[in-house]
Amino acid sequence: MTADASPPLRDAHDRAADAAPTPPATPLRWFLDPYVQIVIGALLVTASELLMKKGADAVEHAAGNVGIFGVAALASGWTWLGIISYVLSFVSWVHVLRFLPLGIAYALINVVHVLIPIGSWVFLGEQISARRWIGISIVVLGLYLVARPLARLEENL
Amino acid sequence: MKSKVLLITIAVICQALIVVGQLLLKKSIGAAQGGHSAADGSAAPVPWRNVVLKFLLAIACLAVWFFLWLGLMSQLDLSKLFPFEGLNPALLAIAAALVLKERMPLAVWIGMALVCVGIAVVAGS
Repeated sequence: MTADASPPLRDAHDRAADAAPTPPATPLRWFLDPYVQIVIGALLVTASELLMKKGADAVEHAAGNVGIFGVAALASGWTWLGIISYVLSFVSWVHVLRFLPLGIAYALINVVHVLIPIGSWVFLGEQISARRWIGISIVVLGLYLVARPLARLEENL
Repeated sequence: MKSKVLLITIAVICQALIVVGQLLLKKSIGAAQGGHSAADGSAAPVPWRNVVLKFLLAIACLAVWFFLWLGLMSQLDLSKLFPFEGLNPALLAIAAALVLKERMPLAVWIGMALVCVGIAVVAGS
């Protein structure tokens, strides 16, 4: 830990480190890294949202209006794949929260706001306007600002 | 087709459920770890009843959110619906600062504000 790390962030990391020691040094240690898990969790959330949209669409096309509680969407296999993906992302998220403060972890998980529109475009064929691309770019810039001080801190550990 | 007001109301309820659910989840995990705020290294006994209760409440909030969200998705395009979550990071960061007393560097707050602006731009398109 070096002096140029900002005090609030260092506090947060120290507290997290006190509360839960870093994962054991096994061959899988990189997999348990909270930042790796944030990326994996974000990909799982993206997959689950796309799958659930597919499921909701499939049911609506078959049976008309689905209603406010989307229970009818459970009739589609896509929805269940989405649920499995979501449960896995939840396990990943609980692991992340053991090591990172909620505010920082949630700031980073916002990468889903980039991944989901792009996923909707690539896999669901939804349109992305020029203005929407600009918004996505601003989100990416914001994520960069959030991640940069953290990355610098990690290098110094 | 449901009215727009109803859809927006449900979307706002979804935001509240996520914030409350995430706070409860973090509190539950914090309690299971013996409490972050204990400055001295002494290990206090883990209040398991408290841990389990908060965890179950968190799951309940997120489960209700899940089905409301599924219902919304059957009504709207996903890429139009998801940017509505733009409020979410801001609400959660403020809640974490107030309730959990978490402190974050200024750069992280600025980055988060940019994320919200970006999401608002996407939502307005």
